[in-house]
Amino acid sequence: MKIVLARIDDRLIHGQVATVWSKVTGCQRIIVCDDDVAQDKIRSTLLKQVAPAGIKSHVVDLEKAVRVYENPKYADDKCLLLFTNPTSVLYMVEHGVPITSVNIGGMSFKEGKHQITGAVSVDDKDIEAFKKLNEKGIELEIRKVDTDAKVMLMDVLK
Amino acid sequence: MFGIIVGTHGIFATELVKSCEMIMGEQKNVKAVTLIPGEGPDDVVKKYEAAIQELDCEDGVLFLNDLFGGSPYNASTRLVINNERYGVVTGVSLPMLIAMAGEQLAYGGADIKELMEKAVAAGKDGIQTFHASAIVDDEEEEL
Repeated sequence: MKIVLARIDDRLIHGQVATVWSKVTGCQRIIVCDDDVAQDKIRSTLLKQVAPAGIKSHVVDLEKAVRVYENPKYADDKCLLLFTNPTSVLYMVEHGVPITSVNIGGMSFKEGKHQITGAVSVDDKDIEAFKKLNEKGIELEIRKVDTDAKVMLMDVLK
Repeated sequence: MFGIIVGTHGIFATELVKSCEMIMGEQKNVKAVTLIPGEGPDDVVKKYEAAIQELDCEDGVLFLNDLFGGSPYNASTRLVINNERYGVVTGVSLPMLIAMAGEQLAYGGADIKELMEKAVAAGKDGIQTFHASAIVDDEEEEL
């Protein structure tokens, strides 16, 4: 699998992803990697309906996501990986998936989170995961769409 | 570069450009022109001319109007008839505008007729339906 983009966006497949990111990355598949979403039959069914033309979308749990990454059947496929949170990204990295850069597009505000930019809110668990990803030398950049200037997450976390 | 002018009845155009910016980010070479109650095609022609002055229209202007035969459309045609690098497409929608904003980003000199065809295709492709009966589970072996 060729990872053309790893993005954290808890809206998953929506306007920015369906129209902008799928085009600029030239991905063939959009893979939502999330344990909760994979268990949610309705949400995962609906996500599979909204793939842009010519692109297949999938919803898998993290264990399966690692397996799919390792499967030689998909070795040449250009994939856009979508996550709802950095802890899931860290799981993939710790299981040998070579993610070198993470684009953070949107993490919505909820009780117990604090807002660090207009589109990104984090809690302690998120911060912990981001710190670990950062220690591994993985770029953490905030951008809604590709034409936005990159804002480095670690700079706004401080 | 070609300029995009969205011309509609009421503030639909202004809001449609804002909606497009929610998805695509700021649009520098797109202008909204509105026809407000009491105005006629002459007023709209003036607004179009002012918009063209403000935009980079070296390679042409693409007018996206809401309604075929409406005043914003009729005003566009008055300008388009005198310039081969101008064109109009009606039935403007968010998918159509997003597609054309995308064409600006990746602009490589396509002529106006080609852009018009792409706008029409994007508008048509933007119309989809969904009903529970349409769900098919075509799970591949792994993915």
